Amino acid sequence: MREREELLDKYTAKVYKNRKQHITQLEFGAEPDTITANTRAIPGTMTARGCCYAGCKGVVVGPLKDVAVITHGPIGCAFYSWGTRRNKAKNDPESDNKNFVPYSLCTDMRPTDIVFGGEKKLEKAIEEVIDIFHPKCIMICSTCPIGLIGDDVQAVAKRTEAQYGIKTIGFSCEGYKGVSQSAGHHIANNGLMRYIIGTGDKKPVGKFTVNLLGEYNIGADGWEEERILKRCGIDVVSVFTGDGSYETLQNAHLADLNLVMCHRSINYVAEMMKTKYGMDWIKVNFIGVGATCKSLRMIGKYFDDPELIARIESVIAEETESIREDMENYKAKLKGKTAGIFVGGSRAHHYQLLLRDLGMETIMAGYEFAHRDDYEGSAIRPFIKSDADTKNIEEITVEPDPEKYRTRYPEEMLVSLQKDGVELDAYTGMIPDMIKGSMVVDDYNFLEVDQLGKIMKPDIIFSGIKDKYSTMKDGIGSRQLHSYDYSGPYSGFRGAVIFARDVAMSIYTPTWRLVKAPWKNTPLLTGTISGGEKHA
Amino acid sequence: MGANLVNLNVNPCKMCMPMGAVTAFSGIQGCMSILHGSQGCATYIRRHMATHYNEPVDIASSSLSEQGTVFGGEENLLKGLKNLIHLYHPEVIGVATTCLAETIGEDIHRIIDRFHSENPEEKVKIIRVASAGYSGTQYEGFFRALRGLVEQLAENARKGDYINVITSMISPADTRWLKSCLRDVGLDFILLPDLSESLDGEYSREYRRLKTTGTSADDIARMGGARLTIEIADYISEEYSPAAYLEEAFGVPFLRISLPTGIESTDAFHAALRSAGGSIPDEFIRERGRYLDAMVDAHKFCAEARVAVFGEPDFVHAVIKLCCEIGAVPVVVATGSLCPDLITGLEDIVKEAAARLFVETVVLRDDADFDQIEAWCKETGANLLIGSSDGRRIAEKLSLPLIRCAFPIHDHIGGQRVRIMGYDGSHFLLEGIANAMIDHTHATYRREIAEKYLADEVSSKASEIALADRFIDTREIARKTETHPCYSCSSCGTHARMHLPIAPKCNIQCNYCVRKFDCPNESRPGVTTEVLKPREAFEKFKTVKAQFPNLSVVGIAGPGDALANFAETREALEMIRGYDPDITFCLSTNGLMLPFYAEELIRLGVTHVTVTMNTIDPDIGAKIYHHVDYMGTRLEGVAGAAVLLANQMTGIRMLAEKGIVVKVNCVAMKGVNDEHLYDVTKRAQELGAFITNIMPHIAVIGSAFEGLEKLNNKELEKLRSSCEVNIQQMRHCRQCRADAIGTLDEDLSIQFRTSSGNPDKSDSKVFRRIAAASKSGMIVDLHFGQAEEFYIYESDGRSTSFIEKRRVDKYCTGAQECDEHDNKMERILKAIADCEVVLALRIGDAPRKRLERMGILPVTTYDMVESAVLTAVQKI
Repeated sequence: MREREELLDKYTAKVYKNRKQHITQLEFGAEPDTITANTRAIPGTMTARGCCYAGCKGVVVGPLKDVAVITHGPIGCAFYSWGTRRNKAKNDPESDNKNFVPYSLCTDMRPTDIVFGGEKKLEKAIEEVIDIFHPKCIMICSTCPIGLIGDDVQAVAKRTEAQYGIKTIGFSCEGYKGVSQSAGHHIANNGLMRYIIGTGDKKPVGKFTVNLLGEYNIGADGWEEERILKRCGIDVVSVFTGDGSYETLQNAHLADLNLVMCHRSINYVAEMMKTKYGMDWIKVNFIGVGATCKSLRMIGKYFDDPELIARIESVIAEETESIREDMENYKAKLKGKTAGIFVGGSRAHHYQLLLRDLGMETIMAGYEFAHRDDYEGSAIRPFIKSDADTKNIEEITVEPDPEKYRTRYPEEMLVSLQKDGVELDAYTGMIPDMIKGSMVVDDYNFLEVDQLGKIMKPDIIFSGIKDKYSTMKDGIGSRQLHSYDYSGPYSGFRGAVIFARDVAMSIYTPTWRLVKAPWKNTPLLTGTISGGEKHA
Repeated sequence: MGANLVNLNVNPCKMCMPMGAVTAFSGIQGCMSILHGSQGCATYIRRHMATHYNEPVDIASSSLSEQGTVFGGEENLLKGLKNLIHLYHPEVIGVATTCLAETIGEDIHRIIDRFHSENPEEKVKIIRVASAGYSGTQYEGFFRALRGLVEQLAENARKGDYINVITSMISPADTRWLKSCLRDVGLDFILLPDLSESLDGEYSREYRRLKTTGTSADDIARMGGARLTIEIADYISEEYSPAAYLEEAFGVPFLRISLPTGIESTDAFHAALRSAGGSIPDEFIRERGRYLDAMVDAHKFCAEARVAVFGEPDFVHAVIKLCCEIGAVPVVVATGSLCPDLITGLEDIVKEAAARLFVETVVLRDDADFDQIEAWCKETGANLLIGSSDGRRIAEKLSLPLIRCAFPIHDHIGGQRVRIMGYDGSHFLLEGIANAMIDHTHATYRREIAEKYLADEVSSKASEIALADRFIDTREIARKTETHPCYSCSSCGTHARMHLPIAPKCNIQCNYCVRKFDCPNESRPGVTTEVLKPREAFEKFKTVKAQFPNLSVVGIAGPGDALANFAETREALEMIRGYDPDITFCLSTNGLMLPFYAEELIRLGVTHVTVTMNTIDPDIGAKIYHHVDYMGTRLEGVAGAAVLLANQMTGIRMLAEKGIVVKVNCVAMKGVNDEHLYDVTKRAQELGAFITNIMPHIAVIGSAFEGLEKLNNKELEKLRSSCEVNIQQMRHCRQCRADAIGTLDEDLSIQFRTSSGNPDKSDSKVFRRIAAASKSGMIVDLHFGQAEEFYIYESDGRSTSFIEKRRVDKYCTGAQECDEHDNKMERILKAIADCEVVLALRIGDAPRKRLERMGILPVTTYDMVESAVLTAVQKI
């Protein structure tokens, strides 16, 4: 379609050939809309992607509050991943108030360490960490040089664990591995599965217990979700990993059900737990009022308990009523506005539903580091070609645990639940939720987001700090969906109102009226002839 | 954590070389930079720079993957260069290496040569910088990039009448100042780099990705022809100094000066401009004069400052120089870079500044992390932080002000507009330091002065206390807290208190309360209390005080609410204060009327107030409070609760702000508010409360909550422990009666039941003695074997009277103590041997038999103690 061609227009033949597979304008025709994803970024195109270390340390293991995470490598990586995600964690008396989230620990490697190897330094650093922090668990995250100079962090972890009796886990998440953060998520998932999940024996007390997977508690999202679940009578055993802890992850396998928020970063754990412990998982979405209600109802159906279902309905009724007036007010302001969402791996999908609650439509969306199933749904999995970069990331195979494996329902029941609308053990993907003519851009880059703003002319773009300022300089509203610009929570019922307020504030700031210089209001001869600003 | 721990960096006070390199390249016209390595480096750095400068930051990456680490990244870099050129059309490209590229030993020089030979038509200038992250910090990276630019672009140009000015990393606003300054003195100059516009751009309808501002490649080429270089940087090594290179290669002499911050350095800067042929305009002299004047104005405040400065070496040097000039004492001087010269360079002036004000400990260190800086701040008593926003964690932890004026500033906006250079920019620091001290004084001086000078005077004159609304004497309050048995565990056995039952009315209805008894949780009761008139209360006080010199506290705890009976409360307190200026006044209330009477309570000399706050959520409140009588209206449900809670919180804050010690009582009701108490105690702490006292709800028969299950001790303790993270917990509460007299363990009120003060000598003809196993003293609520104390009553079947409380060791506290089982059982039996009846919730078979053998009638019941006693006696 026209807009897609316009976007690709600026590229050289080679880049064009590559990028056109990653950019789809949805047709919903006879042929399904497809997209290429999870392949290497093109050098020099200003990709928004981060590295494997960022996915492992920054996203998945960093938020575990009672774990001392050591960055093994030079200082920069430790500095840049220090407190940048806004994943909130409260001190928790149950885990002795251990909360290392505000810290950044690093072996601060120097040239001599690169030459002679850093294992000794790492071992001493671990000793110092134990002296200073007395953590319950230590994790080591490797940066680029580590694999290259041959430091074996797993071996160091094993040695120090034996020596000090403190669980120590080494992650070989060197920045260059894989094609994006996604590789780091996978490596982190493998480590959690291999060394932590299933090592505890503290049985949860509640009647209905769940784990919340892929919730990183940015701006307290997770706390709003837990509040709602608790009101419904559902107890959260562990959260992967926002405000989560080593302590609780150990017992995750004893919960009844896994709820998956961010599919991309944590689906490996959900699937491995299904295989090893027989635990079912549901893809939920607590972003958006409608989506939250739907997710709660799916949980109710899964547990198939009349009392629970009744309680869920009454919570939904009360909560929606309590925000109804606010939501209606904001909807009156926002109805008919359009948006673009360019975020990591799942939010670009989740937020479309919240925007729809507000009468807004998402006309373009993209993921930084998603795979095809995040766009097209789990059904596409068998058709995804595995390339060299994917093969380099270890796949661990798990077997049903002879003692701990237990299934709640027979297969027929699961099939009937699925038929009944419970999104069990599968994800439908983002594309089915979008409308015809929308642009879907995988591994979007700086230039494309900038261009898309001009071509698609949305009222607001939800993205990250890297795109925020150029978006605003284009006169388009912006809100960071990584850090929420210090706002939040945006999840659940209360979060929806905060989000609505923030969006309305961005679109309706009086500043937009002032930043258009008076002389720009008078049409210029050149402007009218060349067809508007977009070619300027 | 100290100097001997050298393998672990805890909270880095530095970044890596690529960060510095790309920052330098941002100041070059038409320049794009590309990092050769994995893409995370570019992403992370873009993210941090964008946050600080509030501008888009474009940094490309060669996106090296695992394959690149094996076969080399040459193809990726070449592709990256091509794409960058095609998409952005830059005039200059800065190629900075990363840890990855340096570790695998990429030969950038050769790759760039290959690029040029394969693409002879490309005129773009490609500058290479070796900037492994592990080889240095952003400070070194910045200069390596500048050195690379000069080495690779500067030519042996024809000598001209212009100078070079090279700076270390300074803000865009300072760069603009520097440029206008150079223009004003009439010098023709080339500034390297020039971040003035590129990282602080104006708003334009179209965002230009390629910077049209900054130092141009042509200008850098001409730098070899300048007649002088002024390098504004103190600690750059010769190896990476662009000025040193220009001298070596083209014979351009150079002057090296400090960042012009403070008088001396700015004077030196102007002197350098003069020696370069500039003429100093009068306006500069006036600016200097104004700054001097400001220094004079501020010197008294600045002398208070004990400053901790951290950051890049040149920045630290500049700020320390300024501090020493204005009379502030730098007590912590730290850089994350390896830079021993900084320490030797500043040691003398810092020690001199410290000696001038008799400051003994100062710390100067390079290669420091924030964990060390925090420890040093504590050690030296620093009262102000100056540096990047990464100091905010220390600022929060130690409650210190932080002046954010170095890269990166992540939690404020405006990092790009920080000004510290020139006389003008120095004002920012000078005023920041002085105002931080003034703010601190504003916040604390009243209290400090009162503590130091007014304590004795106040306590010696009762009337002044009553009128002392201007100074609340915190030291006196602290002393009173120590001798108040309810607040200080250590005094609970030594100091006595007396509750005056002068407040019969209540203005709210709690669902756990039956009004025919006294308020069961504000104060304990159950037994009939006499309600006294203020005058009677005063007489009773005098009697008791005469007998108990250790009486330190007079409290009003009901039976209703002290503030619902305010006229009586005021009258009684005024009379007692007139008689005894030292006595501590304490009062408990539900808080509904607190905002109205807080000021007056303080005037009356009430120093300790207990507010029962069971919730902070009106929805929960609606469950706890049936109604609230407020300003002549009866409010029910959420409306009533909302008013009550708002007034409680406002009242607590009003008192706490004035230094009054506020205890917050929370009645823990299972399933109602027990899980919410964490939030309540947290709020209590935020409001300024001193302690919270979580008490188990006592189910009063006839109350709306009579069926509510009681929290057991284990649950209670768990609850208290979980709330302890928020605020100190009271654990020795005895839930006393409204007319209690004596120490907490020994209630002697029975002796003073009539205002005569004489012990009650009642007839003993048909009186039977009964022991009740009770925790609260109000209900028979304990298992016989678990009783710690027995309430001993006497009754003739028509009336009852409380005799005493007897403590025994309990005999079934847990398996580990079972060895002493028999022994303890004996003790219990001994404790009640003189009684005829024992009342308990449950009694086991074995003890029941023992009791019967001893002639004691065991009665199991769950009832109010008084009525159980009557029922039992009537049965005999």
